Amino acid sequence: MSSTTLALVLLGAPLVAFFIALVVFRKNHVAAMATVLLGGATTCACALTLLATKAGAPAEQASRAWLHAGGVDIHFGILLDGKTLIMGAAVGVITLCVQVYSLSYMSHDQGRGRFFAFLALFEWAMLSFVYSPSLMQTFVFWELVGLASFFLIGFWHKKPSAIAAAKKAFIITRIGDVGLFIGLILLFQTAHTLDIQTLNTLSFDASRIELITLLLFVGIVGKSAQFPLHTWLPDAMEGPTPVSALLHSATMVAAGVFLFARFHPLFMQAELTLTIVLCIATFTAVLSSTMAMVATDMKRVFAYSSISQLGFMLMGLGAGSLFAGYFHLTTHAIFKALLFLCAGAFIHEHGTNDTVAIGRNGGRNQRIITLGLIVGGGALAGFPLLAGFFSKELIIHALHDKPLFLAGAYLASFMTAYYTFRVIFLVVFPNKDSAVEVEEEPADSHDDHHGSAWPMHAPILLLTAAAIALGWFGDSIATTLGLENPPISIPEMAPAIGVALAGILIAWFDFGRKSAPQTGFVFKIKPLYTLFKNGWYLDAIYKKVFVGAAQAVAGLLFGTENHVLDKASDGIGQGTLQIGSATTMAQSGRLPVYIGVAVVCFAAVMIVLGLEIMR
Amino acid sequence: MSYDFAIAAVVTLAGALLAISQANILHAVFGLAISLVGVAGIFFTLNSPFVAIMEVLIYVGGIAVTMIFAVMLSSVTNPQEKENVGRRLMAAVAAGTFFVGGALVLHHAEFADGKELLNSEHSLQAVGVNLLNRYNLAFETLSVVLLLAIVGAIVIVRKEPAMPADAEEEAA
Amino acid sequence: MTLEGTLLLALMLFCFGIYAVLARRNLIGILIGVELMLNAANINFLAFSHFIPTDPAVAKIIVLVVIGLAAAEAAIALAIILKLYRQRSSIDVDAMTLLEGTGAEEASDE
Repeated sequence: MSSTTLALVLLGAPLVAFFIALVVFRKNHVAAMATVLLGGATTCACALTLLATKAGAPAEQASRAWLHAGGVDIHFGILLDGKTLIMGAAVGVITLCVQVYSLSYMSHDQGRGRFFAFLALFEWAMLSFVYSPSLMQTFVFWELVGLASFFLIGFWHKKPSAIAAAKKAFIITRIGDVGLFIGLILLFQTAHTLDIQTLNTLSFDASRIELITLLLFVGIVGKSAQFPLHTWLPDAMEGPTPVSALLHSATMVAAGVFLFARFHPLFMQAELTLTIVLCIATFTAVLSSTMAMVATDMKRVFAYSSISQLGFMLMGLGAGSLFAGYFHLTTHAIFKALLFLCAGAFIHEHGTNDTVAIGRNGGRNQRIITLGLIVGGGALAGFPLLAGFFSKELIIHALHDKPLFLAGAYLASFMTAYYTFRVIFLVVFPNKDSAVEVEEEPADSHDDHHGSAWPMHAPILLLTAAAIALGWFGDSIATTLGLENPPISIPEMAPAIGVALAGILIAWFDFGRKSAPQTGFVFKIKPLYTLFKNGWYLDAIYKKVFVGAAQAVAGLLFGTENHVLDKASDGIGQGTLQIGSATTMAQSGRLPVYIGVAVVCFAAVMIVLGLEIMR
Repeated sequence: MSYDFAIAAVVTLAGALLAISQANILHAVFGLAISLVGVAGIFFTLNSPFVAIMEVLIYVGGIAVTMIFAVMLSSVTNPQEKENVGRRLMAAVAAGTFFVGGALVLHHAEFADGKELLNSEHSLQAVGVNLLNRYNLAFETLSVVLLLAIVGAIVIVRKEPAMPADAEEEAA
Repeated sequence: MTLEGTLLLALMLFCFGIYAVLARRNLIGILIGVELMLNAANINFLAFSHFIPTDPAVAKIIVLVVIGLAAAEAAIALAIILKLYRQRSSIDVDAMTLLEGTGAEEASDE
């Protein structure tokens, strides 16, 4: 089978599965789940085959014109290059893991067939986005990814907080999408082509490309949850945990970073944009780490860490190292999916999101899951020789000549190590005597029917293995991307390792050792704690500023509507009625009069005509 | 100017005058019949004997006679038009305006060379052949229209089941 | 006998028809006027085909079709007249003013 056919199968399988699961097996959950699982397995197999056979080969593109409009062909198709192959494989594997995991996690949900259908839709949208060869397709599936995530975050549509979170995610990413859309249109207007490969070879006028890339970056900020549009991501965990695992790793948030990587040559032409990217990414990484340090909800900690890790990726990309950012995107996808699946398993078992409560409830007795948590956490913290370690080193290496951002990166990775091991220690070494209060007690009424264990354990084990091993595949990933894996000497690595170990040590002091207070050092600085706990009050500020402004505008419009437009339309209506009743006077209903008028008018026309001819 | 045309024209106009001026509607229908015979004569002078025969057959023999039936069935109680000079004057003005306009156009219009074409033997055959070949659609449509007219006329005049008087008033 | 003469005759016939339609109050009288107008049109068709070189069969076919339509029309019209007479005992057009719009009715609908 040619690679194009394989890619088509890869894209088609989830779509077909989606339709079958949603339409044909609407009542039959088991069949729907089986269909989606089959589709996911097919996609995963195709993606891995493609990666294995095409790695290092030159880029290949197949597309078909969908619309000819004014000399421009809008193409839909497939672009196979290094970035696509790696991302496609990551999406395929993680989605399959999440689907298998959901077999158990969602085993008693009333709408699990629908859930699986949306998982398939999500996968299809993301893969089509990743494999897109044209701007149009990119934008269409970018939006579809957002739509699918909207469905999934709001999956429990009877839960008001889930609906609110879904709406928030959709609206906030939409703000970024406006920027992206304008950027894409400008890009098309400048380059007169929709073809991404062609675009990436062009060089542009400096100010123009700066504007375009800035607008593209606005879209990335929304999708990849960077400051100031990051507030949707922590709330997005209102959806089922498998969704969070998918959303935070390979799909949705990864789309933003992938877009950056996709247009990397364009971004490299824009100095100003790169600086702005670095500023925002660094600030976001630090900001969200501070929030993660005080969050008690396990999923929330990981959600904040996603934001901060996405910041790391963008720092790498913004510093000019495509490989560093992309590698971190891949490793992060693996270990973040792992962490969320572990969190989901804990939550499923103990009926609470609170880390402390999970620990006291005997979370560490779930050995496999605890192992997954430790490995995934270690990888996130940059513990030496785990997946995240290598990619983070690369990013820090890329930043070496930018001291300010380098300091930010160190600070963020210190905090990352601290809050990650805070979670690990709280689960592994619960201290019932510590002063810390449990914010959310385990739900007593939690239903006891759990699905069988293996669908949860198998993906976690697989991802654990990947999180350990993936770091060593840096060279082959670099080859696939057609890039160099820069060698980093041990002394160069030392500071980053030191920072990470310091973070772990302090976490040990605060949470791990016997008779540790388990509150953390931030807790002692009350104002800072409150600030972090409330997410720097950004939500409140947004509410005040944007919602207030929107309400003011709405009030103004309401007034206009009531006092101006209503009056005007009423007036028009009344006027029409008046004219109507006036003209009814002329309607005598007497046929001869009507005919007579018609005859006279016609005669008049003839007379005019006759006189015209005479002249 | 040939006499036959003149005679036909005079008969036509005289009949038409009768048809529009007679207060008694029955007389008016007779006037129409006379006028139609005159029109048939004109058709004859225009080298269309077949059409002229059809005119007499259908119009005079069919339509005019049907009208007489209708008159007898309906207006027997009130055959006389009431005097209404104003109305007639208005109608005359409208018709007169129309005539002036038409005459103006006619006077100034330029037609192609108006030579009479007198030799059209086989014209009846041409009509028949064309009617059944080229203008088949018109022919068939006409037959359908006539059928519908017959059915429609029957449906319209058919006696309906008695309706209550007030309901009929409302429907009206 | 010329084209203009024939057309003038048709025009006069047509105006007679108009006059009948407008002046008559009796529905049958109006029908008579309509028939006069139709015949005027027929005369025009045949006159043009007679004086201007063209396919002579076309005009004849048109006239035949018109005659047929007139027959159908007369049948329907007379049926309607009979029906009206049965319902209202009158075929006076001046009595048929149901299409009349009165401002008062409109206002009362509001």
